[in-house]
Amino acid sequence: MQAPQLPTSQVEQPKESRFSPYQNNGGTCLALAGADFCIIAADSRLSLGYSILSRNTPKVAQLTTKTCIASSGCNADMVTLQKYLKFKIQMYLHQHGKEMSTPAVAQMLATTLYHRRFFPYYTFNIVGGLDQNGEGCVFSYDAIGCFERLKYTVSGSGHALIEPFLDNLVAYKNTDNKPTIERSCDETLELVKDIFSSAGERDIYTGDFVDIYIIDKNGTRYEQFPLKKD
Amino acid sequence: MKTKPVAEPSTRTQQPIVTGTGVLGIKYNGGVMLACDTLGSYGSLARFRTVKRLEKVGDFTVVGASGDLSDFQKISSMLREMSTSDSAYDDGCNMTPRDIHQYLGRVMYNRRNKFDPLWNELVVAGFRDGKPFLGAVDLIGTMYEDDIIATSFGNYVCLPLMRKAGTNLSKEEAKQVMENCLRVLYYRNTKSSTKIQIATVSAEGVEIGEPFEISTYWGYSAFQHTEYHGKRL
Amino acid sequence: MEASLEIPKGGFSFDLCKRNAWLESQANYGSSSIIKKAKKTGTTIAGIIFKDGVVLGADTRATSGPIVADKNCEKIHYLAPNIFCCGAGTSADCENVTEMMASNLTLHRLNTGRECRVITAVTMLSQYLFRYQGYISAALVVGGVDSTGPSLYTIHPHGSVDQLPFVTMGSGSLAAMAVFEAGYQEGLERQPGIDLVRAAIQSGIDNDLGSGSNVDITVITPEGVQRFRNLDKAEPKYKSKNPLFYPKGTTKYYDEIISKVAIIEGDAMEQ
Repeated sequence: MQAPQLPTSQVEQPKESRFSPYQNNGGTCLALAGADFCIIAADSRLSLGYSILSRNTPKVAQLTTKTCIASSGCNADMVTLQKYLKFKIQMYLHQHGKEMSTPAVAQMLATTLYHRRFFPYYTFNIVGGLDQNGEGCVFSYDAIGCFERLKYTVSGSGHALIEPFLDNLVAYKNTDNKPTIERSCDETLELVKDIFSSAGERDIYTGDFVDIYIIDKNGTRYEQFPLKKD
Repeated sequence: MKTKPVAEPSTRTQQPIVTGTGVLGIKYNGGVMLACDTLGSYGSLARFRTVKRLEKVGDFTVVGASGDLSDFQKISSMLREMSTSDSAYDDGCNMTPRDIHQYLGRVMYNRRNKFDPLWNELVVAGFRDGKPFLGAVDLIGTMYEDDIIATSFGNYVCLPLMRKAGTNLSKEEAKQVMENCLRVLYYRNTKSSTKIQIATVSAEGVEIGEPFEISTYWGYSAFQHTEYHGKRL
Repeated sequence: MEASLEIPKGGFSFDLCKRNAWLESQANYGSSSIIKKAKKTGTTIAGIIFKDGVVLGADTRATSGPIVADKNCEKIHYLAPNIFCCGAGTSADCENVTEMMASNLTLHRLNTGRECRVITAVTMLSQYLFRYQGYISAALVVGGVDSTGPSLYTIHPHGSVDQLPFVTMGSGSLAAMAVFEAGYQEGLERQPGIDLVRAAIQSGIDNDLGSGSNVDITVITPEGVQRFRNLDKAEPKYKSKNPLFYPKGTTKYYDEIISKVAIIEGDAMEQ
């Protein structure tokens, strides 16, 4: 057996600074689908390490009249990806004379992400909107294009804090006595605010503001909700 | 000789060589201001004392850079070429500050994809159609717009002071804030100097000032005796 | 090989530190490693000397990686009646080092029958930290007033000491120092001194992600010590319009036993 090589002191090793193409700029994205609406939200803090680069850099982008995307992770990749999607969607509009449906956008995003399988976009995306039947829909992704349609999802730095909360409050996985009435759009909006203010309390990368997009049959409505700045 | 493993990505600029430190950008009432010192460091050596790190692009924009200065000079010549051809078209359609910001973002991102980054953090300041613009781009293509921006060490030292000062400032007040921030930066950053340069962009156009010296203060009596084993004052 | 297995004859041995580092690198503990999970006070702490004494300040956030572990912890520790100490770094190290030093200083007072000097505390702390070669990760700001007047020191985890008129430590040290460099003047009065430290800590709270919540201040003068806990408070959390409510039966239960309990005395439970 080979004796283990003893490492030198952990405290101060000379650091080899090497170019890394990735950065983690933090942030949390969240989407909830109702019967005829969808709410998609993300905080607007752009951070790097322990510093806040910007307090008001949006992570949510409106792609069509009934589709939005929210992405956290590496800002450079997020900007590029969202720009590319907007371009493709515009081209689709010109070629087909109609808007892309939300599930089609969702599929396209997955293809786009997988296209860079071996040099991934370091982004954690959520697509939310209304499908062809006017039903709320949410799509959740990993960084390389595995995706799934869900009723609710969360991604980014606050993911581990929020996901169990949603399992409990939206999917009622804690009980057999599920309420028979679904949450209304306004109640869902309030839930989103509650969730983000709680996540902002405990996750250092979540804060400043939340950009909330409410999508229903009348179109898309935007609302900004303040969080703590510390 | 040791050969590199196959999986190693190919890299070009592995580290910056001659570097500039923090660039500060702030919006004020009626314009945008950029400020930085003029030191070109070669590692820890203060190699070049008067390097201009603010570049005018077109009629409405200034770009400031920290990081590798040779890369910035390359970027500057790219931008000059672009604005020359932009004005040569003479179509009455010129690049806005936001266009330049977006363009730089794409250039930086494309170079990072080739693992051959331009080792800079850039700040773009502009004023067009009565609206101020301030944006940042870095070597991997991170892009954002904000009212207050500081790069590299300025991020830790100057940004807190600038955020405290806010953006409701006159031009003169903004200049005071910038000078004060660069002074504090000089106190705490080994790679900055007291020779600074300030640029403003407003409805009157771009104005890049000449480099000048800022004052410092080291006269605290408590600074004169700081050996803790020694005698007290 | 054999030579390296010999037990060194003198000096300290850091074999266990090396072993721990090795264990960490071998077993793929990742983020669940004990060492990495230790609660840190990613912190802003600061102090200044003013005309008649010393002001110490600290934020109140403790973090464990990206998670806020404690929103209102205390980082200004007691060392002696005339000496206090702010701690940044690993919480356990700061707490235990200061607690131990407080005991040792008490013994010192009982032995000598005199008030402790700040330099005594600083020397004892720095010698102790130096012995552990930085493995006790406590970065300290020590301030106090003694027979020689007010004084202020910082001690780094490796045991080095600085004596300065204004000091900061922790992850928010640069944000706080910027405020000091911009606003410090010699011979400050008491209230401007307190306000400057408040502003410095607030700067760390606002700009550094490792710092947050409230501002604690301790003022030490020859007349005595004044401690202000949560002098500046963070804005309160958003109050939900639909507070959570779980009706009885949400969690299934199979049996119910009701027993009567008489409370004789006692305070209401702390929230």
